[in-house]
Amino acid sequence: MSADNAGILYEMLSPWSEADPIPLQGLSPRLDDLAGKKIGLLCNNKRAAPVILDVAERLLKEKYPTAETSYFHARTFSVSSLERDRKDEFDDWIKGLDAVIASVGD
Amino acid sequence: MYDAIYIEKAGKPTVTFAFEHFLNDAMSAASSKGMPVVRVVPETIVSESTVVADIEKAITAVFDDAVAALTKPLTAEEKSPQPREQENPPRIIFKGSLEDVNRFFYQRGWTDGLPIIPPTESAVAEMCTGTDLPADHIVAELEPRRGKATVEKIAINAVMAGCLPTYMPLLIAGVECLSDNPVSGMMAASTGSFSPFWLINGPVAKDINARATYGAASPGDIANATIGRALGLLTKNIRGVRKQVEDMGVLGNPGKYTWVAAENEEFSPFEPQHVERGLKKEDSAITLTFPQSFQQMMPFGTDAKGILATVIGSIVPARMGQFILLLTPAHARSFADAGWTKKAIKEYIVKNAVVPEDYFERLGLDGSRAFDRGTGSGPGGTRDIFRPSRHDPDPVQVFVYGGFGSWMGFAQGGPPPVTRKAELPKDWAKLMAKYKNIVPNYIRY
Repeated sequence: MSADNAGILYEMLSPWSEADPIPLQGLSPRLDDLAGKKIGLLCNNKRAAPVILDVAERLLKEKYPTAETSYFHARTFSVSSLERDRKDEFDDWIKGLDAVIASVGD
Repeated sequence: MYDAIYIEKAGKPTVTFAFEHFLNDAMSAASSKGMPVVRVVPETIVSESTVVADIEKAITAVFDDAVAALTKPLTAEEKSPQPREQENPPRIIFKGSLEDVNRFFYQRGWTDGLPIIPPTESAVAEMCTGTDLPADHIVAELEPRRGKATVEKIAINAVMAGCLPTYMPLLIAGVECLSDNPVSGMMAASTGSFSPFWLINGPVAKDINARATYGAASPGDIANATIGRALGLLTKNIRGVRKQVEDMGVLGNPGKYTWVAAENEEFSPFEPQHVERGLKKEDSAITLTFPQSFQQMMPFGTDAKGILATVIGSIVPARMGQFILLLTPAHARSFADAGWTKKAIKEYIVKNAVVPEDYFERLGLDGSRAFDRGTGSGPGGTRDIFRPSRHDPDPVQVFVYGGFGSWMGFAQGGPPPVTRKAELPKDWAKLMAKYKNIVPNYIRY
């Protein structure tokens, strides 16, 4: 700490805001194997996202021929945050899956 | 990332492909939803890439990592993440000289790179005289960090930016605009470098000497310079959107330092923006838009026909969101004298802004993917550049500001405008009198 030419020391208030702690949650248990599983492919509306998942789907089926896939195409960056009218559709889609591969296009 | 978290919380293992430069952004997004440890597979696909060969190569290289992310047993930390130390620093954070303070705040990532005014207890108390709300009043919680925008935190950031206390009503209304817009956090973080553009309306504009005339959006006036700056600092320090951590703007945007104008209501023939949005003319208000680009041009003619021809001939389909026509009072008068209203100008632009039939063919583009996610315009898509929707029913705006000249402008991109009324404190006249005369007095040479 040093004083400036006038010998003034400033006592600063913090600009960084408080935020309430958020209850934390761990990840879901992983699968033993992807063979025979139904894998969801979720892409947002960024243009690279569906292309990424097309490649991932092909590689998945090459490696696990008995795996099934199911696409969900978001119309925005986030179904759960921005597409309230599709919540039921999204929830139903999730229920029918064993795991999800997501691409956000970024 | 929000959807991946949502799915994990629904009990389904999830892995997300993300560009390798976006891992911090992904982790901040996940933390903000209560899942600080997520499984992301970094890849090398540049955001928004359309090069299929690059995507093929990049995903092939990491596909086994994605399989492992779905099958490899969880670690103890992934099963039960431990709370991070809450970064809620003490109210008094530092003591030092002006130079020390600036270095400390800069190194904490709390500034925009420009020097700050030290937010001392007395300076912040004086700033708080600009509102009747108590210092601990929470105006909003701003996502993604969900930081609490109390009056005092707004005032601290306002002092840092160099604001005068008379700006507090607009700053508080500005925070409400940021909170009311469901995608403003996303705009602040977007690769598109969308910048807040603040338009001030009502009597407060003259009370605080917010510039509406020549060079309104240029440097030189405290109100225009510091109101946008303060709201930018709030975005970092309350919202928690920091450059290349959460803000992944690729090119960046100088408007993020500050981009503020007062509407030139004195010389505009049209109803002011805040009146168009439901407030009274005598109300004071601030309007938030998020353009990613700003363009000025000399119109083909300075009458309505010439200006509209310039607009229609210049809008390209590769754009995202709102279109704001920036008219000088002189241009607005040309429209009004010819019988045009703002509503008619908007309708004309929406109706006539279409992609020429051979546009994409001439550009050598024959794909089928839309350029504009909002309208679906692009090769094989609609020819309409604007498509009013439930989410954006009024995609064209008209703002009137600036001096008396013939340049016109566009500000393009982002979600629909949000306007909030500024509530002035009871002793506004006294406060205004105290600060009203702080104006530049340029000497002649």
